[in-house]
Amino acid sequence: MTRKKVSISYKNQLFSRPILAGILSFTFLFLLGFYLLYQRYQIIRESEEREMVSVMDLVEKNLNNSLKDSYSVALSMGLLVDDNGNIKDFEKYAPILLEQYPVIDVLQMVPKGVIQKVYPLEGNEEVIGYDILNDPKTRTEAIRAIDAGKMYFAGPFDLKQGGTAVVGRLPVYKNNEFWGFSAIIIKLESLLEQAGLKKLAGDKYLFQFSKIDAITNKERFFLENDLDIEYNVVETIILPDGDWKFYIALKNPKASFNELIPLTFFILLIAGWLAWMVTILFKQPARLQKLVNAQAGELANSELKFRTIFNQAAIGMVRVETATGRFLETNQRFRELSGYSNEELSKLSFRELSIPSEVDINRKLMQELLNGIRREYSLEKRLIQKNGNILWIKLSVSPLWKKGTTGTTHISIIEDITERVLAQEQLAQKEKRYRALVENGAEVLTIFSREGKTIYCSPSSEKLSGYSEAEIKSINLGSLVHPDDTEVFQKQILTAIQKPMMPIQGDPVRLINKSGQWRWAESTITSLLEDPAINGIVGNFRDISEKREAEINLNKSYHTVMEQNRRLLNFSYIVSHNLRSHSSNIQSILNLYVTTNVDEEKSDYIELLFKVGKALNLTLDDLNEVVSIRTNLDLKVEPLKVSTFLDKTIDLLEVQIKNKDAVIVKDVPDEMIVDFNPAYLESVLLNFLSNALRYREPERSLEINVKGVKRSGVWVLLIKDNGIGIDMDRHGDKLFGLYKTFTTTPNSRGVGLFITKNQINAMGGEVAVESEVGVGTTFKIFFK
Amino acid sequence: MKGSICIIDDDKIYQMIIKKIIERTVAFDNVKFYDDAIYALEDFKDHSIHLPKLILLDINMPQMDGWQFLDSLIKHRPNFHEHTTIYIVTSSIAHSDREKAKSYSQVSGFLSKPISVEKLTEISVKHR
Repeated sequence: MTRKKVSISYKNQLFSRPILAGILSFTFLFLLGFYLLYQRYQIIRESEEREMVSVMDLVEKNLNNSLKDSYSVALSMGLLVDDNGNIKDFEKYAPILLEQYPVIDVLQMVPKGVIQKVYPLEGNEEVIGYDILNDPKTRTEAIRAIDAGKMYFAGPFDLKQGGTAVVGRLPVYKNNEFWGFSAIIIKLESLLEQAGLKKLAGDKYLFQFSKIDAITNKERFFLENDLDIEYNVVETIILPDGDWKFYIALKNPKASFNELIPLTFFILLIAGWLAWMVTILFKQPARLQKLVNAQAGELANSELKFRTIFNQAAIGMVRVETATGRFLETNQRFRELSGYSNEELSKLSFRELSIPSEVDINRKLMQELLNGIRREYSLEKRLIQKNGNILWIKLSVSPLWKKGTTGTTHISIIEDITERVLAQEQLAQKEKRYRALVENGAEVLTIFSREGKTIYCSPSSEKLSGYSEAEIKSINLGSLVHPDDTEVFQKQILTAIQKPMMPIQGDPVRLINKSGQWRWAESTITSLLEDPAINGIVGNFRDISEKREAEINLNKSYHTVMEQNRRLLNFSYIVSHNLRSHSSNIQSILNLYVTTNVDEEKSDYIELLFKVGKALNLTLDDLNEVVSIRTNLDLKVEPLKVSTFLDKTIDLLEVQIKNKDAVIVKDVPDEMIVDFNPAYLESVLLNFLSNALRYREPERSLEINVKGVKRSGVWVLLIKDNGIGIDMDRHGDKLFGLYKTFTTTPNSRGVGLFITKNQINAMGGEVAVESEVGVGTTFKIFFK
Repeated sequence: MKGSICIIDDDKIYQMIIKKIIERTVAFDNVKFYDDAIYALEDFKDHSIHLPKLILLDINMPQMDGWQFLDSLIKHRPNFHEHTTIYIVTSSIAHSDREKAKSYSQVSGFLSKPISVEKLTEISVKHR
């Protein structure tokens, strides 16, 4: 027990200083990392040095090869000197040697230090006769060759012909006497190439080539680069044949160091991160402890809050023993809802407050809760109050046990939703009533968009339009409206849109149904476009075809009656006028008769009476004819070929036509067949033609044009003459009136046109006239 | 001094009758007949012609009816009624004709046929 405590306190010491622990771990990791880095750096350096040594070995070998080759060439040239000291066949062998050793650029023979032979001569002419032993620049090294008794490479020099070169001189002895030198010249460039410097250098190494100057005794460098001998040189070769030095160095000595920088950072990062983790880890226990303390306080606080909520809540809350359904705790609101006191409730369970039919569903849900299938549920049910009244409640149940453990108690929340449920029921009832009204009514109710697309239509629309609901929705409403009514209908809709929410009653319009019949519909349009719940135009259509038809017929009858009435009045007026004129004449004559004593005069009056009697007879005949048309309602109507009837009429008038020298031009197609009474058609044609013959203009020969044409589906007969014409301004309105005559021509009694017009009208046709005085008259008969 | 009288009527028989009646009144020494108002108007348009003292005008005539004649005459000689008396004499008993006659201030009366000697005498005295 004691030990444990100690260990805890020890731990606590460290845990209480998490930052220190962090710093310690960082330092440790940092040092470890750097040690490993140093090791790595050393390895890299060693391998680099090894690589450079091997490069230099290769360079040395290559250079030695070149020099050896030069030596062999110089030696061969020495053999060209004969015993007398003369040079033989230099021109012959020199090219061969140069070809064999391409590294060598120039060959020279230098007896007694004076250059005598040069190959190739071209470009080197100047050196012939040059005494190298007398020139201090060359003398030292020439002497050094003699002293050494072997090939010595002098230079490098700047060549007279340009470039830098080395000269290898081999002292030649003849008969143990110094004869001179055989010399070879290699351009420095060629030499270095032979050594493979460029190839080996790549971009990794730098080389330098130096020689101790024979005169100044100073080291002279021949390659142009920034190799710093003091710091960078790693390897050197010393070639004794010319006292030359080769250096090699890394071009970028820091590369290997740079390579390690990212690693360095990585190590730093790792060390830092680990240190931070350690800090956090060490801090954790303290934080947890703090949390525990805080939560303990909160718990106490929330318990208090919960109590308050439970007791004061505006909704009913109960704690229930899950197994039995017994109330363990109830709040004030629940006691109010149920009407029971706390004591009473403690002896009751939920089941006793429920309607039997609703117990099962609740039990089923509770079972699911216990099985862990669900974690809560809510249910709308009824609650029986203590006084027997029934409340609608929303019951929400949450378990008070942990998931996976056995059920103990649960919390039930009870809300009074009686008002809402009743309102819903009422709404449903209302909706049902409206539906019944809409669906069974004789009216069509539609909702359509501004573009005329149907959004909704009542079921009654199928009954009235023949289109199914789907069909109506695919048809634009506007396309069902009769073209003549479109304007009226659109105006109505526009008005409705301009006056939202206001029912606009329109004039009846014709709508086509599926079977192609036009039906008259009366509509009320209300724009509910601004009502987001509808967002459409409500159209209320009533089929008023029967009513409308009756209305139209009534109107027609009215017009017919009025027309007949007018004609009758006119007729009675004429009758009275004409008859009265005779009767008044008779009265006057008789008056005169009785008041005279002169016999002669008396016989005059009797004669007058005869005349009146004749005129009266004529008038009565006319009236009889007129009346017969008017009373003849059941006339036989048959299809008649106008052309045939016209020919017949012309035959009838043949004599008159001949006498009056008239020309009749007939242009009536054979297919002009009209429904007419034969006797009437004869009478009509005879009347118009004899009129034309009677009222001809004496100044010119009469021409009558009779033409049959079809205009907008009806046959029209045009009878045109070039007669005297009629003053339409004066007589137009009474042209077809009874006893209207417009000329003083004898026999014009004003009956013909009146009868003709009546006959045409009786056959459902119309007659019109165009005329100009002195030009002629055209009568137009429009057949039905 | 006897007055002049003019009859405008297309009924030939009436013309013969009224001629006899005029003779019986012994009130007119100058009688003129026109078969149609249009001929009467042709004459009366000419301002040099003196209008008769009394005109008996029929309404229904073929070419120009009595009303048209009146309208034209008023247009051509607006003050003719200062010298001339016009009576409508017609067989029509239509109320509308009578009313229309009343609307013309230039028309002195509306007489339905038959016209008697006494009536004509009375008129001739009235407008002497």
